[in-house]
Amino acid sequence: MTNPPILEVNLLTRHFGGIRALNDVSLTLEQGSITSMIGPNGAGKTTFVNVVTGVHPPNNGSAKFAGHDTTGMAPHQIAALGIGRTFQLEELFVGMSALENAMVGCHTKSRCGIFATGFRLPFARDEERKIRDEAVDNLSLVGLAGKASYPVTKLPLGERKLVGIARALGMKPRLLLLDEPAGGLAAHEVERLTTLIYALVERDITIFIIEHNMPFVMSLSERVIVLNEGYKIADGAPADIRGNEQVIKAYLGEEDSH
Amino acid sequence: MKRAAIPWIAIALIIAGLPLVTSSNYLVGTMCFVAIYGTLAVGMGILLELAGIFSLAHPTFFGLGAYSGAVIAVKHVAPPWAGTIIGTVLVTAVSYLIGAPLLRLKGFYLACATFGLLVIVEISLGQFGSLTGGHEGLVGIPPLSIAGYVFESDVQFYYLSWAFCLGQLWFLSNVMNGRVGRAIRSFHDSETASRSMGVNISRYKLQIFMLTSAIAAIAGSIYCFYLRFTQPGIFGFPLLVDLMTMLIIGGGKTIWGPLLGSFVITWLRELIHGYLGNILPRMTGEVDAVFFGFLIIIILIFMPGGLTGWIFKLESWLRERFFKSAHASGQPTGGI
Repeated sequence: MTNPPILEVNLLTRHFGGIRALNDVSLTLEQGSITSMIGPNGAGKTTFVNVVTGVHPPNNGSAKFAGHDTTGMAPHQIAALGIGRTFQLEELFVGMSALENAMVGCHTKSRCGIFATGFRLPFARDEERKIRDEAVDNLSLVGLAGKASYPVTKLPLGERKLVGIARALGMKPRLLLLDEPAGGLAAHEVERLTTLIYALVERDITIFIIEHNMPFVMSLSERVIVLNEGYKIADGAPADIRGNEQVIKAYLGEEDSH
Repeated sequence: MKRAAIPWIAIALIIAGLPLVTSSNYLVGTMCFVAIYGTLAVGMGILLELAGIFSLAHPTFFGLGAYSGAVIAVKHVAPPWAGTIIGTVLVTAVSYLIGAPLLRLKGFYLACATFGLLVIVEISLGQFGSLTGGHEGLVGIPPLSIAGYVFESDVQFYYLSWAFCLGQLWFLSNVMNGRVGRAIRSFHDSETASRSMGVNISRYKLQIFMLTSAIAAIAGSIYCFYLRFTQPGIFGFPLLVDLMTMLIIGGGKTIWGPLLGSFVITWLRELIHGYLGNILPRMTGEVDAVFFGFLIIIILIFMPGGLTGWIFKLESWLRERFFKSAHASGQPTGGI
């Protein structure tokens, strides 16, 4: 470990009724790293992201982000600390344009309340201009500057995923959790995404990816974590994961079982 | 920025000029009601269509605003203008007390709870006879006067109600297109994503609920000082249905759609009553209910976005037809 940790989770557990979606998962993310989490469907990957971001509070265990204990904090408080995320099913704000989506992302980095904006006070107008510039910058970074005014419902899947990333960038996140960013993308779109992720790391954003696209994961990640049935079964460099017997069992089943 | 101001100025000029070109008290008086109901419908449209808060208690805050201002004035606690202010503060406080627990409910559960509130308040206003005049209504409301200037005529109330209506429309439109409004529209679309962007949903739900309630309360005061009379039945279920009709027909996805709805509904009703009053003198109430019922069905089938949705479709069709570009809109950032 060369870099200090940005996220430390310890024995994180989450149940849904009788289903143990996440069991005693502990892991540490280094600042500035690219880490991926893989696992069969239903392994608890999205649950892990939801617990870290506060959508589902953990039943047990603790999480620490950049020195703050985030266990049991509300999602908007965790977001304000600088954990950004995207969603497997985009979850974009469908009534808005791409630009407005990106502008909502700047919410935690702006302050104006209902009366300042309602009366168009000078500082509210300044702040609005800053939010807009920031959102335009973020859309340009993901390569969608030309589509800012499009309603998000009119964009193809790959671009909707990029709007999701631009939106999360408005929070100036220190850690960005990407839930299946490459899911459903064509090969050239995946390449574009890879370049973008490297650009984000350059900006000092720690990247955590949930993904099924193995070539993408293996080429991009410095470290891969494998979940199966809520348990962490492997954690290491991509090369080690490829040969890990438990991982192969989790994906393909045991050789002698019928 | 400058271009966006043109429609506002045009509408303000038309409204301001109307009493100069007509001397009909009937026309000016009806336009007063368009403004007052429009104010209410705009607030309700924001709650229902933009914030996703299914509150049916909007007429209640209108009524509480009307009664608190009127009772304060009738009992000589304070002059009417002060009664309006005190009443609005009281109603805002009440909306906080009601909103804080109830806004945790979602969808139809919230609708049920707020509908209960609507009925309870209407009945209570009728029962507290010593204070409110009971079901017969409150009479003897003194005229509204501010620093010696007395509001009595239709034209005076016309300017007062339209100034307030357009003022709140401008204010709410700024809010809904700004930081807070984007946050509010975001949780209408996806609460999970909105939270993850750092939006404190319960806080903004309460804020917009209190803001629209306060506006409804002021509209209530203007209403009762204009009529110089209030009655519990005014603020009950029929008004709720009227407001819903205005939302559906005007289209709630824009801020000003419900105001257009108020204009259309109020004047249609006047027309129906004007014509049918002679033919079917005892049935006008039933006939307009049936007529508006059919109108809602037709609008929902053929123009689900209401009149404003239809106007936008027409606009984008014209753009594509004549300018060959669907996105070179005057409002490049979307917005509402």
